[in-house]
Amino acid sequence: MTAALTVTSDDRAGSRPPSALSNVVALGMRQLRDAVRSRWFALYTLAFTALGLAVSYVSAHAAGGAGVSGFGRTTAGLLNLVLLIVPLMALTAGAGSIASDRERGMLPYLLAQPIARWELLLGTYLGLALALFASVTLGLGACAAVLAAMGERTDPGSIVWLAVLSCILALGMLSVGMLVSVVTRRASVATGTAVFLWLALVFGTDLGLMAGTIAFKLRIQTLFGLCLANPLQVFKMWSLHVIDASIDVLGPAGTYALDTWGSALSWIFAGALAAWVVVPLGLATAIFARRSPV
Amino acid sequence: MTTLALIACLALGVAAEPGSIADRIAGAAPGDVIEVGPGVYRERIRIDKPLRLVGVGRPVIDGGGSGDIVEITAPNVEFRGFEVRNTGIDLDKENCAIRVLAPFAVIEDNVVSDVLFGIDLKGAPDSVVRGNRIGGKDLDVARRGDGLRLWRSDRVRIENNEIHDGRDAILWYSNGVEVRGNVAHRCRYGFHLMYSDNVVLEDNEVAENSVGVYFMYSHTLELRRNRLVRNRGPSGYGLGLKETDRFTIEDNVIVGNRVGVYVDGSPFTSKKPGEFTRNTFAYNDVGVTFLPAVRGNVLWENNFVDNFEQVCVLGRGELTGNEFARDDRGNYWSDYVGYDEDRDGLGDWEHCSERLFESMLDREPKLRVFLLSPAESAIEFVARAVPAVRPEPKFSDPAPLMQPIAAKASAERDARRGPLAAAATALLAVGGLAFVVARSGLGLARETT
Repeated sequence: MTAALTVTSDDRAGSRPPSALSNVVALGMRQLRDAVRSRWFALYTLAFTALGLAVSYVSAHAAGGAGVSGFGRTTAGLLNLVLLIVPLMALTAGAGSIASDRERGMLPYLLAQPIARWELLLGTYLGLALALFASVTLGLGACAAVLAAMGERTDPGSIVWLAVLSCILALGMLSVGMLVSVVTRRASVATGTAVFLWLALVFGTDLGLMAGTIAFKLRIQTLFGLCLANPLQVFKMWSLHVIDASIDVLGPAGTYALDTWGSALSWIFAGALAAWVVVPLGLATAIFARRSPV
Repeated sequence: MTTLALIACLALGVAAEPGSIADRIAGAAPGDVIEVGPGVYRERIRIDKPLRLVGVGRPVIDGGGSGDIVEITAPNVEFRGFEVRNTGIDLDKENCAIRVLAPFAVIEDNVVSDVLFGIDLKGAPDSVVRGNRIGGKDLDVARRGDGLRLWRSDRVRIENNEIHDGRDAILWYSNGVEVRGNVAHRCRYGFHLMYSDNVVLEDNEVAENSVGVYFMYSHTLELRRNRLVRNRGPSGYGLGLKETDRFTIEDNVIVGNRVGVYVDGSPFTSKKPGEFTRNTFAYNDVGVTFLPAVRGNVLWENNFVDNFEQVCVLGRGELTGNEFARDDRGNYWSDYVGYDEDRDGLGDWEHCSERLFESMLDREPKLRVFLLSPAESAIEFVARAVPAVRPEPKFSDPAPLMQPIAAKASAERDARRGPLAAAATALLAVGGLAFVVARSGLGLARETT
């Protein structure tokens, strides 16, 4: 905020050209404002929160008289929800950004300002990321509040961890979305591609890998390695790893990973997700630098 | 000043080298009470006449890291109020803190720490082991000894002990034993019965062991109101039953284990059905696992809540020889999809387990890695929509309950509502802050563009 303030005063004084940082911040603020005011943000946040509340309520209720809350699968249920919604949210948000600016003729205007193209891309990325963070934390926060009110004994740390990891997943998926946005010409095509990618990541790769496991009798290390290629699987395994302190619930592959990698496992998951953040965004920057803005 | 120093020296001297307990035992007559004051006693003790040894102010008997420490060879000995610590680590010699070799012993209110074997009753029937706290050495599981062991010791009562970081608490050839109110944490087997009949286990908490309770080759057993929680070793059974007969498993809470109950060759004969009632199986990877040839069990009025797999038949088979209801009362299944139109508390449809992903898991365990992913739900959806791919039902419950049975043993831990509320507030605050930044940045951004 203070950075943004100084940006404006500097601009008014016109004393020196704004720094890259202030450019990025200003562009980020613009994107954030647009995102927060937009319909998709409100819609996704509402849907995510509503579904999350439903999951929390049902799972807190299911254990009911059995007296076993606190061991519940509430966090696991929320994890499933995050797996479905957050990638969709991030992919479509990213895909819509640059493509729609281009379609509306906004892009040449923006690039006529004294800003570098990578500044525009990064600013857009950060603004959207912040909007996604707000959406995810508000949704999960509301779930935690409901669980607390219902007297559920979910470990508070697990919800916070889930929120943090969901944000990292959102960063990765947003990165992919931006790449889609940069390479497509029309906003509708970008959104369509994003949805297709979402379907592929959420269902396609897993189902394919399941079939492959049975058909080719994949070895356990191959299976685990292939799972690492899917950011959603990485997010899921990482979440289970930090929340449950164990991924042995995932059967032989989980036990194998735990035995072989042990404490390095968190770093492997972090590295895999970081690659999904950095690589697509880097690619997008490189492509965007060369493409015509119209 | 000097006198003070002298007194201090004396006091220290007394504390460091008190009169030996062994000498006092040698000088005592049968039936005497020996009170031992506080201090550290570095000695080995053999109690060879009926005595009451009472520690006052928790005196410490230190084995110095080798051999056994206390041995009781006479009947009717009482040993209470001590801390016994630091045995050897020789598994061949079974280095032990308190070894009882005679009947009618009372071992009560002792702290046994840093030991290979904790309390070992060999041929010590009619003894009582009560209120002791037994902690094993920090060794690899294969090199640990048993926290508590009974060998040919009938009618022993084991009550309110806490056993942690040992190998097993094990009963060998000991009939009529009662095990009540104990806690077993982080051991290999929480409680293990071998050839021990007429045993009752009630109100114990068995958590975070490799295996919770394992019954083998024993009969006439009652397991009641125990909490078997998060036993997740390589086999990871909350309760295992191997060739066990005439057992009743009721009112237990079995939560978060790898396998809630593992049934292998039990009941062994057809004298009495294996009875499981009013237990809660919740959040285990598998609720109950049956080996294919198992028959003669009856399960009614149990709660099956959100186990990843509620019932598993290893190696694929049907559970035709087992019943999931008695007197028209079935079990509560959290995944029951039917309804109760006549409002009699029972579902109007029978409950069949026919989950496709589950049957795929039984066939190919590697697929577990896809648990909790949306693809799993997709497969279940397909199985519901397309009957052609629906698997054969493993079992059916003709009278599923609509509401869970209230548990008598509680698995609740301390309420942690405060921190959860705090986490909620923190998350909402972070989200709200981002939102506010976006809103307040609005005016600024308008000026810049």
